Amino acid sequence: MSVYEKYETVVGLEVHVQLSTKSKAFCADDTRFGARPNTHISAISLAYPGTLPRLNKKQVESAVKLGLAIGSKINQESRFDRKNYFYADLPKGYQITQDASPICIGGQLTINANDAERTIRIHHIHMEEDAGKSIHDMSPKSSFIDLNRAGVPLLEIVTEPDFRSPEEVDVFMNTIRQLVRYLEISDGNMEEGSMRCDCNVSVRLKGAETYGERCEIKNMNSMRFARRAISYEVKRQIDLIEAGGKVQQQTLNFDPVTGITTPLRDKEDAHDYRYFPEPDLPPVHLSDSFINNLKTQMPPLPQELFKQFTSKFSLSDYDATLLTEEKETALFYLDLVKNTPHHKAAANLLINKIKPYLNEQKSSVATFPLSVKSLADFIQLIEDGKVSNTIAYQRIFPALIETPTQTPLAIAEKLNLIQNADEDFLQQLVQEVIKKYPDKVTTYQKGKKGLIGFFMGEVMRLSKGKADPKATNALLRKVLEKQ
Amino acid sequence: MPKHNTLKSIQAAIQNGETNGVSLVDYYLSKIEETKELNVYVEVFAAEAKERAKVLDQKYKKDPTTVGRLYGMILSIKDVLCYEGHEVTAASKILEGFIAPYSATAIQRLLDEDVIIIGRVNCDQFAMGSTNENSNYGPTRNAADPTKVPGGSSGASAVSVQADTCLASLGSDTGGSVRQPASFCGIIGMKPTYGRISRYGLLAYASSFDQIGILSNSVEDAALLLEIMAGADEFDSTASQSPVKAYSKQLSFDKKVKIAYFDTALNHPNLDAGVKEETFTFISKLKEMGHTVEAVDFEYLDYIIPAYYVLTTAEASSNLSRFDGIRYGYRSPNATNFLETYTKSRTEGFSEEVKRRIMLGTFVLSSGYYDAYYTKAQKVRRLIAEKTKEIFSTYDFILMPTAPSTAWDIGTMSNDPVQMYLADIYTVQANMVGIPAIAIPLGKHENGMPIGVQLMADKWKEAELLSFAQKIS
Repeated sequence: MSVYEKYETVVGLEVHVQLSTKSKAFCADDTRFGARPNTHISAISLAYPGTLPRLNKKQVESAVKLGLAIGSKINQESRFDRKNYFYADLPKGYQITQDASPICIGGQLTINANDAERTIRIHHIHMEEDAGKSIHDMSPKSSFIDLNRAGVPLLEIVTEPDFRSPEEVDVFMNTIRQLVRYLEISDGNMEEGSMRCDCNVSVRLKGAETYGERCEIKNMNSMRFARRAISYEVKRQIDLIEAGGKVQQQTLNFDPVTGITTPLRDKEDAHDYRYFPEPDLPPVHLSDSFINNLKTQMPPLPQELFKQFTSKFSLSDYDATLLTEEKETALFYLDLVKNTPHHKAAANLLINKIKPYLNEQKSSVATFPLSVKSLADFIQLIEDGKVSNTIAYQRIFPALIETPTQTPLAIAEKLNLIQNADEDFLQQLVQEVIKKYPDKVTTYQKGKKGLIGFFMGEVMRLSKGKADPKATNALLRKVLEKQ
Repeated sequence: MPKHNTLKSIQAAIQNGETNGVSLVDYYLSKIEETKELNVYVEVFAAEAKERAKVLDQKYKKDPTTVGRLYGMILSIKDVLCYEGHEVTAASKILEGFIAPYSATAIQRLLDEDVIIIGRVNCDQFAMGSTNENSNYGPTRNAADPTKVPGGSSGASAVSVQADTCLASLGSDTGGSVRQPASFCGIIGMKPTYGRISRYGLLAYASSFDQIGILSNSVEDAALLLEIMAGADEFDSTASQSPVKAYSKQLSFDKKVKIAYFDTALNHPNLDAGVKEETFTFISKLKEMGHTVEAVDFEYLDYIIPAYYVLTTAEASSNLSRFDGIRYGYRSPNATNFLETYTKSRTEGFSEEVKRRIMLGTFVLSSGYYDAYYTKAQKVRRLIAEKTKEIFSTYDFILMPTAPSTAWDIGTMSNDPVQMYLADIYTVQANMVGIPAIAIPLGKHENGMPIGVQLMADKWKEAELLSFAQKIS
């Protein structure tokens, strides 16, 4: 057993989710990503003298929705606090956040990592505002500041130290990403910084009761980096302990180029943020009716849908995962199966045909031209044996897209694609094939039964795909065995 | 032109053709010139005020019904209020040259009613002080005796009215900054309920205490200005939604009321004998008028000042963090790196008193001291609020001296900040609790300086407070 296996990894996360509200947390500035520097600003976001914050109701709604989704207790009297520190991209000299009384308390999220279900407890979710951006590497003499992001609303999700591997962290982040997209409160886009996390990492001997001293890796905005950073940090801590050292509580920076963590500051230099109640904002009072109203607006959640898809519709975990990745696909599927009893066929159609088609078109189900009724008919056509799956996918589907007002049956008829199970029709085709390949017939009869596929193919070709495969197969066997 | 004490008398004079906006402005500009040595104005908007008066006069001439309710009101504003396109510095070097890009909600509402703002007046830096000596522009002097301070922090606002350089002035009141100078200068000083007037555009000192206040010669002008400025504002979440009464039209008062005063306050060792005597004389007068005036217990008086300074400096230390030399205001030319931009700009930009309060506030919020100071002070604030509420369940008003003495000699307080802080003893209760209070003149001390008395009412009882003040002043 290697020394590393003696230890258990313990990680807790602080996940920052940037909300996709139109305006900032405490003023009307635009929040869109990618604008020219310092164009989404105002007297309020620049902290001009005399300006005051005013709360964005959408931020509160987003927080409550996320809280409801993970089973938090919604705090009906939450409060804002000021977190004081000086930095050039923090215009007020303090961040408005929630410290003592956050909006959502508790909750949990179940994740599936390494084929095991794990429950991650949520400590709380609070509302806060983002800082601007400082750019120190554009000029050797000057720093540059972009305040477009200053004041953009964030939710911070603080977990208990319940992660036991970097993979779990990865899965959790993806689960959160999926959830916030379902709730339509954030685009969850890590590349654009819409989701970031701080990882609190410690190690302890397996079976130990107490946690080890932790280090905080700041600002991970890529899951690949986060996994590497945690793995590196775990190894560093174990090596340190094994060499007789002690882990010091520190704030760390991870350098993706070198792959190592380096201290930003020690505990002694830790900021004293001097939190105190924000006097410019009254407590956030949430009425029962406000919360109940949001409850009625909650979309079905991915984990519920997954369960429904695998149990009620008997889909495989794999199919259910694919279908629940995006809310609109899942909802489309739900809509579709209301119109057809063929749940698996519907899943196949969505996964193998419609999704690739939409990807290719760079389009979404919202603008997909075919109605679920038409798609249900399309499935029924296959299930009734009127057309083969291949023919349906390759010929009828594109034709249907071209003329969505036509029924799949009408198209199949028009293109002369309806399968034929008529005995006389099939008999004629089978005889023709047998005559054409006497050698193969002999080989078959000598025992090489696999040739049935060859004969099937020939019949299908001759029939231009119209021969009913089941009936053809039966007839072929009957005829071949007889001779 | 004779001195006018009310807008009503000015508007009557305009109606009779005795005066108009332009001659009013000319008159007040000449008074500003005459009283220059008092160092009241830090900027006079002479040309602009004249131009605006001309436009308003024309508007009035065409159709007298088209002018706003404040036509004829010439106002000065404390250098902590944003007036779009005009400099605002909080009397601090750190904001030298800063031009407000927007107008405070209160200012805008007055402008919409055709007020004329004649200039920006001096004050204590960031409204921190009780003497108007803590200013980048030097001290302002009391018009009753130029060797005396006018009080603070809205000292120059008080003098601007006292010296007849305008009809009224806007100040700000965090712990008595409107009432105490009003008292030192012998005029009316009104601080409304916390949340009555939007703070948007008022440079913050201590956010949960600050209110814009009014300094005027008459209660009726204070009532009218309040009525126009007050009310909900989407830019200030702490501004109340509660409806604004027509204060200026509800000034008649014929009830008999119950008034409480604190024994501990009127027998306080720091209270000047002359002020005490005048206050008791006033109490007798009120009793003669048929009102009930009774002493009540108030055991928290000596805790008010320490708790107030803990809480206000804590908020101030955070509110003043934005002045960092990065986006606007003073940036030290001596800074050679990032950190120095902060430290040098702030060290050079703020006055000693402002830095003292920032450090005090930073200290009381720092970990390890937070509970002993900040939490405790909050508790004191809550207790005082509860006790005050209890008093108002029995009494209509609380009566108090405005200040423990008359105006001090210039220079006496600047070396003893604690002594200066203690002089706020009678005014800070209203800010701690968020209730409205008004200072009214009470004649002269034997030393020749004005004395004031203060009345406080329960939250949102401005109408009662103003009408009673009108009755007895």
